[in-house]
Amino acid sequence: MSASTQLPATGTGTRPPQRIALRADCIADSAGGLTFDIAVPGAAGEDAGTVWGAALVLRLRGGEPPADEIRLPLGPNGAGRLRAVLPSTVALAEGRWNVYADLGDAGDPQRLLPGLNDLRSLVDRRPLAAIGRLGVRIPYATKYGNLALRSWLRGPHAESGEITVAPDGITVQGRLYGAALEPGAAAEARARRDGHTVTIPLRGDGPDFAFVLPHGPLAEQWRAGTERWDLWVRTGEVAEPVRISRILDDVPDKKQIFTYPAMPIAAPGAQVRVGPYFTVDNDLSVKVVGPQEHS
Amino acid sequence: MHISFLIHNAYGIGGTIRTTYNLADTLSEQHDVEIVSVFRHRDAPVFEPGARVRLRHLVDLRKDSPDYDGEDPAFLHEARIFPRAEGRFRQYSALTDRRIAAHLRSLEADVVVGTRPGLNVHIARQARRGVARVGQEHLTLDSHGRALVRRLRAVYPRLDAVTTVTEADARSYRKRLRLPGVRIEAVPNSVPEPGIRPADGTGKWVVAAGRLDKVKRYDLLIRAFATVVEQRPDWRLRIYGGGAEKAALRALIDELGLYNHIYLMGPASPLDPEWAKGSIAVVTSRLESFGMTIVEAMRCGLPVVSTNCPLGPGEIIDDGVDGRLVPVGKKDAIASALLELINDDERRQRMGRAALVSSARFDPGRIAGRYEALFGDLTTTGGGRGGLRATVHRTRGALLSGAYATKDAARAAVRGVRTV
Repeated sequence: MSASTQLPATGTGTRPPQRIALRADCIADSAGGLTFDIAVPGAAGEDAGTVWGAALVLRLRGGEPPADEIRLPLGPNGAGRLRAVLPSTVALAEGRWNVYADLGDAGDPQRLLPGLNDLRSLVDRRPLAAIGRLGVRIPYATKYGNLALRSWLRGPHAESGEITVAPDGITVQGRLYGAALEPGAAAEARARRDGHTVTIPLRGDGPDFAFVLPHGPLAEQWRAGTERWDLWVRTGEVAEPVRISRILDDVPDKKQIFTYPAMPIAAPGAQVRVGPYFTVDNDLSVKVVGPQEHS
Repeated sequence: MHISFLIHNAYGIGGTIRTTYNLADTLSEQHDVEIVSVFRHRDAPVFEPGARVRLRHLVDLRKDSPDYDGEDPAFLHEARIFPRAEGRFRQYSALTDRRIAAHLRSLEADVVVGTRPGLNVHIARQARRGVARVGQEHLTLDSHGRALVRRLRAVYPRLDAVTTVTEADARSYRKRLRLPGVRIEAVPNSVPEPGIRPADGTGKWVVAAGRLDKVKRYDLLIRAFATVVEQRPDWRLRIYGGGAEKAALRALIDELGLYNHIYLMGPASPLDPEWAKGSIAVVTSRLESFGMTIVEAMRCGLPVVSTNCPLGPGEIIDDGVDGRLVPVGKKDAIASALLELINDDERRQRMGRAALVSSARFDPGRIAGRYEALFGDLTTTGGGRGGLRATVHRTRGALLSGAYATKDAARAAVRGVRTV
């Protein structure tokens, strides 16, 4: 049944009664902590401070409760206002977390709507490179208009900075967190199709690194359609590779916003276009796009 | 007072809808306020009209509604009251003529407020005697074609007041339309205080926001920012909004190699948290009938560098005090005004604080107070077509508006948008 069939059947209808939706204002601190402020109107608001069981509930999308559920105490913060704090020290598995309020009234936890997200302290976030594991949580509105958190938990982590596309290759500058570059450190491009790996020398300066990925070796491997390569940093000759990504700012989805041009390059039997992009998980990859494809 | 707004579609997204909701919500603190939407195409409005404001519609366009009006034969016949030269003419019909006429004939309000020229024409011709008739102009007179201007000249004398959003547009109404006995008054749009802490001016970000249309001249902004980046590669630019120019702007950013410095962020709502991440706001438009984003940015504590385009920016920004005004279409002027503020942290932060103070004059409480004074004058003088209508400077309006304590302060603070 559509919602409109419940409306008054008059020619000049009035607004249907609405259930009170709760909104959370999120404030991020530069360490990775988040504060949630919820205004609870009316009688529920007056009682809100006295309910001991009230909690902010985070549920990992696609996860299994109770393991993938986190409850944070929701306490009074002035009249009709509740506050919960997610400290940077509480580890949140990587993924998308839906946000609910359990007002301790025996009802099901209520999905929260986004209010004002004050994420200014995330914009040019630059944690200490020595940090062992980076926790990043960015609140955002889902396409259905609900509040969710995008979470990353990485250590070591290779953060992508400026990327330059030029005829001689793709220059990537970045910074390493939770690991030090050792002799033999290198960048790697790995073909998603067959795991073929192109290894490139890496310049290091303390935690900062840079490399130039030439287009040729990727174009030479092109067979058909669009082929994708993932970019990694290996911090030493025997070290586990670290995926390069961009997570240290306030933008939850980089893919549509941090975009780069592609360079036309000759490949076996065709002209392809080679260019960097961010995946839906904000990881850095390179696309080699054939002549018939739309990039 | 009972105040009734008449709007094209209160259920959509747009500047007129938002500003009408702000005004209605604030007036409803003291008065009985309703918004009548000619059309309704969805169940719930996108913006929140405010708990005390009544919202209803005249024509139901929801296909799954039992009252769906799209199959009424009159819906297919051309409108005769709604003017042909109006931009929305094709959406109006014999059905809207009939429904709006019936609504206005039966409307028991003190004041009826139209929110676009076509609806103002309905009000001028069809509102009951004894109801004060106010026509709002949310665009500008100069943006209307000749045929529409002729129509307005013929019909608007039957209004009691016309409001514009700038003093410049009010002047143009007085000069071009010559409406005897009709009060013409500039009342700017209101912008509420943002719910977050203002920007502190330390971030190295310039922010722009608006639809990606040609009139906004974001191509010029991108070229100007290339000059900025040459001197200050540590500063970057975010442009919020979506629109037809997106692909062309993307290509220009890539062509100039500015993809590490200029970002097309897509639409954002609410915008206040995005302004607060910046330290300077920038507007490069050819035309701005008001300049809502300028006020929004100032209310978040940002100095605004704007083209001095017709009509709004020059009435909002005090050049050199709370922002900078530069000539229209001049890339180098935009770049050097941005660099002035980028290269002088102390000045930028001082101007940001000044912007915060001066933009308070656009607070809904103050703007509603000005409307209330106007409505009070019109109803005191008999509303409708009373003979005393021309004596508009009555004290009653000021007394009524005393309910909004901020009103007198607003008068004092208003520069260039003084009442008639």
